[in-house]
Amino acid sequence: MSRTSDKTQRKGAPTHFRTLEFTLGLLFVGVMGLAVLFSGIVFPDGGEKIDLTARLLPPFTHGTHSLGTDPLGRDVLARIVTGGKISLEVGLLSVAGAVTVGVVVGMMSGYYRGLCDMIVMRLVDIQLALPFILLAITVIAIFGGSLSHTIILLIVSQWVQYARLVRGLVIALRERDFIQQAQAIGVGDVKLLFSHLLPNLIGPVIVLMTLNIANNILLESSLTFLGLGIDPTIPSWGGMLAQGRTYLQNAWWIAVFPGLAIMVTVLGFNLLGDWLRDRLDPTGTTLR
Amino acid sequence: MKNGFLNCFRGLLATGLWLAAASLAHAGGTLTVSSAQDPGSWDPVDTYLVAWAAVATNLYDGLTYRQPDGRLVAGLATSWETLDGGKRIRFHLRQGVTFHDGEPFNARAVKFTFERLLGDQGSKGPQKSNYAAIDHVAIIDAFTVDFYLKLIDPVLLTKLAGYGAMIVPPDYIEEHGEDWFNSHPIGTGPFKFVSYEPKVEISLERFEDFWGTKANISRLDYRFIAEPATAVAELQAGRIDLVMPPGVPIGMVGTIKNKPELEVVTAPGPSVYALRFNTARGITRDERVRKAMILGVDRQAIIDSILGGYAAPIASFQSALSFGYDPDLSPLPYDPDLARRLLKQAGIKPGTQLRIDIRNNNASFNEAVQAVAGYLQMIELNATIKLYESNYFLNDIVPQGKTGELFQQAWGGWTFDYDNTAYFMYHTGEKWNPYDRDAKLDKMLESQRMITDRDQRQSALRAIAKYVADHALELPLYNPNEIFGLNRRVHNFTPVPDSRLRLNQVSVD
Amino acid sequence: MAGFLLKRLLQALFVMVAVTLIVAFAIRLTGDPALMLTQGSAAVTEADLERIREALGLNQPFFVQYLSFLRGLVSLDFGRSFIGGTPVSQLIAKALPATLSLALSSMLIAIALSVPLGIKAAVARGKWADQLIRICSLAGLSFPNFWLATMMVLVFSITLGWLPPSGMSGFSSLIMPAVTMGVILTATNVRLVRTAMLETLQAQYIMVARAKGLGERAVLYKHGLRNCAIPLITWFGLQFGALIGGIVVVERVFNWPGLGTLAFDAVAARDYPVLQAVITVLSLLIIAVNLVVDIAYGLIDPRVRVR
Repeated sequence: MSRTSDKTQRKGAPTHFRTLEFTLGLLFVGVMGLAVLFSGIVFPDGGEKIDLTARLLPPFTHGTHSLGTDPLGRDVLARIVTGGKISLEVGLLSVAGAVTVGVVVGMMSGYYRGLCDMIVMRLVDIQLALPFILLAITVIAIFGGSLSHTIILLIVSQWVQYARLVRGLVIALRERDFIQQAQAIGVGDVKLLFSHLLPNLIGPVIVLMTLNIANNILLESSLTFLGLGIDPTIPSWGGMLAQGRTYLQNAWWIAVFPGLAIMVTVLGFNLLGDWLRDRLDPTGTTLR
Repeated sequence: MKNGFLNCFRGLLATGLWLAAASLAHAGGTLTVSSAQDPGSWDPVDTYLVAWAAVATNLYDGLTYRQPDGRLVAGLATSWETLDGGKRIRFHLRQGVTFHDGEPFNARAVKFTFERLLGDQGSKGPQKSNYAAIDHVAIIDAFTVDFYLKLIDPVLLTKLAGYGAMIVPPDYIEEHGEDWFNSHPIGTGPFKFVSYEPKVEISLERFEDFWGTKANISRLDYRFIAEPATAVAELQAGRIDLVMPPGVPIGMVGTIKNKPELEVVTAPGPSVYALRFNTARGITRDERVRKAMILGVDRQAIIDSILGGYAAPIASFQSALSFGYDPDLSPLPYDPDLARRLLKQAGIKPGTQLRIDIRNNNASFNEAVQAVAGYLQMIELNATIKLYESNYFLNDIVPQGKTGELFQQAWGGWTFDYDNTAYFMYHTGEKWNPYDRDAKLDKMLESQRMITDRDQRQSALRAIAKYVADHALELPLYNPNEIFGLNRRVHNFTPVPDSRLRLNQVSVD
Repeated sequence: MAGFLLKRLLQALFVMVAVTLIVAFAIRLTGDPALMLTQGSAAVTEADLERIREALGLNQPFFVQYLSFLRGLVSLDFGRSFIGGTPVSQLIAKALPATLSLALSSMLIAIALSVPLGIKAAVARGKWADQLIRICSLAGLSFPNFWLATMMVLVFSITLGWLPPSGMSGFSSLIMPAVTMGVILTATNVRLVRTAMLETLQAQYIMVARAKGLGERAVLYKHGLRNCAIPLITWFGLQFGALIGGIVVVERVFNWPGLGTLAFDAVAARDYPVLQAVITVLSLLIIAVNLVVDIAYGLIDPRVRVR
């Protein structure tokens, strides 16, 4: 069930039948990305300006506060757009860190096997057996909550996913002819790993990354919800949601708009990830 | 004929009895209360938690009792007198009182209670140290005891009205053991224990032989609900009749008020909130800077907006209910211009960075501090806020002096005496005072403890409050009200300032 | 085969010891339970604290404490909670069924939703129904679970009054927490079912069944589903671990008296014995499920044993 079989099986069906998924995904991620990119120009105060005389203004009624204000009189729109920066930062940096560690470790352990492999696999087992949120609660109790701690925590708990995925792929690839041939003609280990193996791993890894970015944006908001997050003056979607929850029934806009922002962004990444998976990893290696 | 008449009479009698029984049952009803925490043990020596006291005040009695209005009245002791210049107190005990299991209350129970508290069993728990002033208890006769004191404790009589001083049944504990007592408490209070499911609920029922006003309701259930929004949702769904503080976040007050069958009831609370200055490091070493920060923050506006008016401004670190409160001491006014001038005088550059450290468990305070940061921004000080997990903050950051320029101080003592607060907040070397070393203040704090005269001690405490305010050791914020969410089917509800809510007067439809 | 089993068991045992060691060590860095018990009360002296620590057994060296924990583990005696002294095994005995019933019901909901949807998507591959199903199921994965929970409480408990907003009181109280967690699994499961079904549908016996003139429904559910059942069940089993991670938040919002609630309170109170026990039990569950899956794979596909 690769793409070629699509064509043969369903003659007449469009070959790019995932266009809707891709278009929506790109649209959602693109819009949020652009908003975040230009937030500094449109809202120079970053949504941090407090005005106790303009608290809880409803949306669509005030020109300067189009999405209303929060209990401290801060502009909800400005905070959402600025808050996107935190969410994307957490999502992207944590995934980047986890990928770097995971891919390197996974390649080493899959390629060299032996003791190194055994240690890595046990580390993976341990990591998978520790429930993440409980780990997070404990770590934040020790070190205090901050943006960097959240990111490090996510890296520590997620690198194993990449390590496991890459290791499995490398083990399978090692047996393939082109690697055997490269080894036979004396290509060095480093060159072999990076110029022959790595290109063949990128597909599944990118898929997993996209899905994890989405996942980590949600995890950050869950941590903030549990009171383990970051400086409350810095706008973040999770923080706004947690704060807005108590106001939900008389000032719905404080929580509903950041909720929508999270949903649009995360859905965008999920759609892209799903679309990519069809292109790059049709057999579903990344699901397990 | 005669038989028929008798039968008829019997029938009437039965009907009458049935009616009487029915009306008795009608006076009953169940009250369901939400409490934020399960203390885990119901033994008085085991805990410091307000959540424990909220339930236990219905199970147990102390020798004294503090009414909702704060007055100390007779409890299991009907009267007492101070002897030997304050080093001995004689209590005359109430007669005819029984514990829930029928065991009689007498001098032996009092002696047992305090020997247990001050002995091995008490050593395993936190309550013992609160009663360190007591040396021993001597039985004079079956209903008279003498408390011999190691040192004079002006707050002791109040302490006997709560927490570790609750009178427990000696025979019951000796027969069933300590572990059993933790989860099957017996006292002399208006309600007796029915069942307890850890982390879920504890159920009590009316104690028919209570010595005081018997309860109106027949059953009293406490459900443990940690998440305030969840507790309020339960109240809205009609499955809970009363949400205890701190269950109602300010943000949800409006939600409750919008429902005709619900209401919000408040009382002035015991807690006070302030931001303490780091007087050892950074720009807050300078008294002018500290005063500038107080002047620069509009505390009244924060109370009116963020706290919805459910709080009172404070000038010193105590509430109006506290012994030592001085109505004539008023907080510094809001004066941002003066604040800027003071900062300029002190040579502080605009845009100077500073950090405020707070705990992560109080949504209203969190918002209030964000507003404080906003006001500081207006006098050109850039404040960041750092959140800490509560216990880490209390046990490491503050005592070790690792805080930023400002840090949270909150105090919710139930004894309402400024001594308790002030000594631990300002005396050199105390845990809550990592920075200030002031010999003069130390002396003031120590000497007031020796004073037995009430008025003299009050003026000594007021002098301390003034001294602290003059030196601007803290940025006083507010004294929040205790907020109760209530279903209107509950009648005769009187809020209390410290969550120790006795519910024997309350009735339900 | 016996060698493979033994090896996997030994590995599981090693992981178990490592996890408990890490947890026991980490929680002891989070602060002093004696200070917790006294709520930071200033009246408490250092001597008082020392007495409390001694009563809790905290004065012994770390490894002595850890060994006595391991010894207790063998007889399922996890000691007593620091808060109130309830035997931890009693707390676990109440909380574990609560958590398991929640986890299993959410998996059932996810399966009930994702199997028909996944099959439909596979059959309608590339058509609008396929796209709609997949975009909608992805949308279910795209908001925080506490957010979904709050919204459901608002609609079904407060506005409509159909379901209890929290607590564990019979079937009706299980619905919202289970749906909250189930929705998140559905997205992944729809994809799994769809992929597995697509593979199966191309197999020869399906062609044969179709050629025999069997009804489409019978082909799909009888022949198709049966043949992709094994990989699907394995995948669902593996999701169990992921599910446990999300349970803390959902249990807290719905005040569900499960392991998540127990653990969250235990960290806040520095209740070492309870936290150690909860993490041990959770890890045991995850390791056991992984082990069963691994062994099952090993039985089906001998190549795995070599890995």
